[in-house]
Amino acid sequence: MEGGRGDGTDKARDEFLSEAQELVDGLGRDLLTVDEALKRGKLDAELINDIFRAVHTLKGLAGLFGATRMAGLSHELEDVLDDLRLGRVELNQAVLDLLFQAVSLYGRILAAEGGTGSDPAEDVEQLLVALGQFSQRRTGGGVGVVSQYDLDPGLLGVLTEYEEHRLRTNIQQGQGLYRLRVRFSLATIDSELDELKAKARPHGEIITYLPTGSGADIDTIELEILMASRASVELLRSSITGPDVNIDEVRRRAAGSGHPGGVSTPAPPRAPAHDSIGPPTRVGGDVLTPVPRTTGGGAQAQLPPPPELPPGPKHTPSLVPSVAAARAAQPPAGQEISLRSVSQTVRVDIRKLDRLMTVVGELAIVKTAIANLAERVRNRAAEARELSIELARLNRTFERHLAQMQSGILEVRMVPLGQAFDKLARVVRQISREHGKDVNLVVTGAETEIDKLIVEELSDPLMHMIRNAIDHGTEPRDERLSVGKPPVGTIALNAFQKGNHVVIEVEDDGRGMDPEALLDVAVRRGVVTRAEASELSPREVLALVFMPGFTTKEVATDLSGRGVGLDVVKTNIAKLGGIVDITSDVGIGTKMTITLPITLAIINVLLVELGSRLFAVPLANVEEAIALDESQVRTVEAREVLTVRGASLPICRLSRLFGVPLRERERPRAFVVIARVGNRRLGLVVDELVGQQDIVIKPLGKSLKSVRGFAGATELGDQRVALVLDAAALIEEVLLPTETRFLAPAAEGGRN
Amino acid sequence: MAALIRARGEKRAVRRAGEAGKRIEYLAFVLAGETYAVQIAHVAEILRVPPITEVPRAPAHVLGVISVRGKLVTVVDLRRRFRLAESPMDRRSRVLLADVGRGEQIGLLVDEVQQVWRLAFEEIEQSNVLGGEQPAHIAGIGRPAESGGAILILLELRPILESA
Repeated sequence: MEGGRGDGTDKARDEFLSEAQELVDGLGRDLLTVDEALKRGKLDAELINDIFRAVHTLKGLAGLFGATRMAGLSHELEDVLDDLRLGRVELNQAVLDLLFQAVSLYGRILAAEGGTGSDPAEDVEQLLVALGQFSQRRTGGGVGVVSQYDLDPGLLGVLTEYEEHRLRTNIQQGQGLYRLRVRFSLATIDSELDELKAKARPHGEIITYLPTGSGADIDTIELEILMASRASVELLRSSITGPDVNIDEVRRRAAGSGHPGGVSTPAPPRAPAHDSIGPPTRVGGDVLTPVPRTTGGGAQAQLPPPPELPPGPKHTPSLVPSVAAARAAQPPAGQEISLRSVSQTVRVDIRKLDRLMTVVGELAIVKTAIANLAERVRNRAAEARELSIELARLNRTFERHLAQMQSGILEVRMVPLGQAFDKLARVVRQISREHGKDVNLVVTGAETEIDKLIVEELSDPLMHMIRNAIDHGTEPRDERLSVGKPPVGTIALNAFQKGNHVVIEVEDDGRGMDPEALLDVAVRRGVVTRAEASELSPREVLALVFMPGFTTKEVATDLSGRGVGLDVVKTNIAKLGGIVDITSDVGIGTKMTITLPITLAIINVLLVELGSRLFAVPLANVEEAIALDESQVRTVEAREVLTVRGASLPICRLSRLFGVPLRERERPRAFVVIARVGNRRLGLVVDELVGQQDIVIKPLGKSLKSVRGFAGATELGDQRVALVLDAAALIEEVLLPTETRFLAPAAEGGRN
Repeated sequence: MAALIRARGEKRAVRRAGEAGKRIEYLAFVLAGETYAVQIAHVAEILRVPPITEVPRAPAHVLGVISVRGKLVTVVDLRRRFRLAESPMDRRSRVLLADVGRGEQIGLLVDEVQQVWRLAFEEIEQSNVLGGEQPAHIAGIGRPAESGGAILILLELRPILESA
């Protein structure tokens, strides 16, 4: 409305939004890791640095795109994070709460920027105030511990504030200090240093490294590395190996002889430290060699409260960049974080893939036409035999390449379920804190892949299920302890592939659902009559929680069970062509299982005919197709029921339901397509079975969204369109009035 | 009600264009002997009538769905929608592929496509000249001066879908 932004700008903006969203998602993941680490009491300093970097990048992005609210929030967060990583503020759950809040606010800001949400201005202001208060509450660092070690004051003088903090923290944690002298080749120092870091990492933390300047020939450089570790010097020597590696322990001074003053405030760098590289001044046996710092492009200069270092002298040109570069990769990275993406991936709008998929669908139609043509040529022309063979061969090649292309595009659409699970982990944390219940989320199979569109649609139902599990399943701590359960509840989120389906389980170890109590409520709510209730199997009783009308907050609390909007969960999953199942044991827990197709894009269908019209039934929902034996049809309470192998199958005559006119000549016999969704079955009576086909299913337009019973439609070739039946909706529609009476016998282990 | 507000929006747009001295292009077509017109900016394409697949249980004015280059399009029979006498399709029948907002295109079945008229503001009368409350889908009456007395019923597309 308000004037045009150019297409180019829009594109850049989309790119910004998706890149920012990715960063925010990553931020959420990192925070969860921090949360976990904090609970275990073992925090990796590098994590806070990662978060700091992400926020910093976000700030940069926000600045570029004039997203002022985001920039402001990032700025304040940066301050808090900086305090955290420098140890000025203690990391606890309260700070973490603020950080999690920030992540969700980022999400809302991005939604607002993308035009799909309102600007959360007030909430941002509130958080900014809270964050501001935090950075006021700085704690003093430990004083003087460093001085207990035999470290050279010249070295201490050039430590950055961050390094100094890490040194202090490590000493306070009782880690030993080690000095490593390692000789690197200048040509490969970057990769060798990374290798060394990787070897050292399992044992402790590298606090700093400096070139010694000693004995360096023209192609090598010796670094002196200060490392903190709990391991013994022997262990370090055996695990951090290399031809030019020497490891010594930095000894603790005798008590009382500590260096006065310590390093609790950054000492001004001493002049000798800035001498040009020369023979090191050795100050006694085990003392660290004072070395010149390459301050040329090091990250230290960009740390927010930078220790004011006078510009260092120029060193050997070849040395400065490589060391500087190596240092830039170290934790305290600053402004030089690049906005360029480094990954080898391309972000693609899912709609573009949809269009490609459509084209593939069209090609499939062309393929069918060619196959038909080849067939006709073969039957017709004896004289064109060779041509017809050629044509058939071409067609097979075409078919093969088309299949490859189809699976290629499908593969591109696949994303790991982890995309939805990450968000859930945040939700779990939030809900469990809101309810004061300790809950652990254990995720398996996050790498299971599923169609991107399905992942998007899964977040909400899964969140609902998990909320239910914590809200109504998991008992409060005291109750758990009194029944001998571990005090912290567990919610397992498991995903795995099973044939052409993906199964997702949400399982809690809470109090489970009591069938008696469920039945009481169902009867009181008029969902079932008392008489019906007495005939339900335990499994059928549990399924009641998915019935609309069963579910109000009040009922759920009455029951101390679940039911908040589970019918919505069921409906949403059904829209994706999936089903939800539930099992529960009183006192042990509840498990809900979602079964979904891997992709929505291409489905295998059974084509059937009603009158002269073609309809498609997704094969995923077809149990079998049999000839209709009219003599086996009985009417039970105004409903037609067919006896199939001794069991009752409700049937629905689709021509009648859809009002499709019959052909003039009555067919000798009709067929029954037995559709099954979850544990419910329905026989769909059709005039003719035509065959199987892979189709690209397309949604009906919005103007037809009120029409029930169809999942979409597909083009079959020669411009004909066939409607695809929505088996779940049809079963719902036909069976709803007597819902619970026709549950599938197989699920009950036979009901003969 | 919402439809009325939007219809007014269209009228405002027409007025603005008129004040600027611009003309608006309308595509005229025939339905049961009357001439109707829609802004050509909303018409993406004019199609010969393809095979239409009926959708059981759809609203009565929906003829069915067609596939246009791989996209499903719902086809509305404007005669039925406006409760005009029905007649079979013939070789002059066409489907207008129209953008109706909401990111959806629909097909409008018409008896015959006539021509494009470029209407100036003075050539458009408000729908209330027909008296009282007019259906929301009637945006006004066009009287192109050069036509020598032709009358166009100018249509607003969105209300056509909204209340049937």
